[in-house]
Amino acid sequence: MKLAYYPGCSLKGTSFEYEVSLLKILEVLNMEIKEIPDWNCCGASAAHSINHNLSVALPARNLAIAEKDGYESVLAPCAACSNRLKNADYELKNDDILKKKITDSLEMPYNAEMSINNMLEFLIGVVGKDKIKSMVKKPLSGIKVASYYGCLLVRPPKVMQFDDPENPVTMDELVALTGAEPVDYSFKTECCGAINSLSKPDVVMALTGNILYDIKKNGADLVVVACPLCHSNLDVRQREIERKYDEKLGLPVLFITELLGLSFGIDPKDLAIDGHMVAADRVLKKIKELTNQQ
Amino acid sequence: MKTVINEQNRRNFAAQVESMLHDKLAKCYQCGKCSAGCPVNFEMDYTPNQIIKMTELGMEDKVLSSKTIWLCVSCNTCSTRCPKGFEVTGIMDVLREIAEKKGIVSKVEKEVQMFHEVFLDNVKSNGRIFELELVGKYKLKTRHLFRDMFLAPKMLEKGKLKMHGEKIAGLNQIAKIFKDFE
Repeated sequence: MKLAYYPGCSLKGTSFEYEVSLLKILEVLNMEIKEIPDWNCCGASAAHSINHNLSVALPARNLAIAEKDGYESVLAPCAACSNRLKNADYELKNDDILKKKITDSLEMPYNAEMSINNMLEFLIGVVGKDKIKSMVKKPLSGIKVASYYGCLLVRPPKVMQFDDPENPVTMDELVALTGAEPVDYSFKTECCGAINSLSKPDVVMALTGNILYDIKKNGADLVVVACPLCHSNLDVRQREIERKYDEKLGLPVLFITELLGLSFGIDPKDLAIDGHMVAADRVLKKIKELTNQQ
Repeated sequence: MKTVINEQNRRNFAAQVESMLHDKLAKCYQCGKCSAGCPVNFEMDYTPNQIIKMTELGMEDKVLSSKTIWLCVSCNTCSTRCPKGFEVTGIMDVLREIAEKKGIVSKVEKEVQMFHEVFLDNVKSNGRIFELELVGKYKLKTRHLFRDMFLAPKMLEKGKLKMHGEKIAGLNQIAKIFKDFE
């Protein structure tokens, strides 16, 4: 199956760790993905917030290019990108008037026959649990991991068609495959404040603080995410949250691809784990000690 | 609260919202589940269910200049939980779009609005987001030059801030999309 890859802007910038670790684990899994040529920004939250047509047209250009190149499946690791691509695909499937308007503007046809996958769907559905399990060389037993899903992977359910919108488990299943212990907690799908990070930092810190302190209270060693924006809020703003609420967190936030990579025995440097703002040194040391005992 | 609304204006506004939303305002029976689960309700001037009712009543000015429509982060918790399947998140998009087209600048939440505008300008000129330029232009526009600046040195050290952006080859196609829909 030909697999198209839509990296999106964050994976080429502030969340480069996500792309580095994704490409590394796919190399180990011996799977090939191809970047959609000359892809453009999906418009993210800004487009759907103030211009509905743009929020469909911008993702549609990428989908139409992938379709023209004969791809059957698109991987969009960024939760926001996968949300916007799926949303555009859904609207184009269900609204013929809009579809005509958009395809006329793009001057490209679009048949909406590809499957669009977020990172978790790709790992479970395309790579497969058995294949992932067979690659686990250094089980992370003894490490407690909280999976944070946020909003865009699961909502709105009628468009995302993925997992349970209130209590998703896919990422926890992947965590279990690595040998680590999934941690249950209350804020799995509560919003981190998302795109308002720059415009309403106080609101974002309150929301993200709730999530992080609940994770801490439930005894996790680290957090895994599958969204660059969640990662930015949980990782980049963590020091500030600690200062604001005067309580230490020290919770490393890893992408799910990085956690899988560690269990495959890949060097943390090759997974760009040192690119995060909250140092993961203590957890990495713990993992090293535990795996040496095995 | 004294608000006198012309019936024709009320109908026009409600009809405009419904046609853009592809949903009926009368579906909402004011149970308040959307507002109870809203993660940013503590900052809003009107709760989401109030916004729906106010739209139905034609309170156009109040709705379009509310803090609520800009504070909504589109997390979709409301729409997911709505027992009537009403597009609660969708109505926020529609109201923001109407406000934007009318040139109504939110007095209290103009920074959220400005962020969206600067973001789309960045897409228009590069085809992709160049984060450093986006943040720089946003800071100039809002004059919050020093807010968050303490994050910059470490982000640079970690390689999170790229100094150069990329422009896509098909910029003319992006220009056409904006010309057709902006």
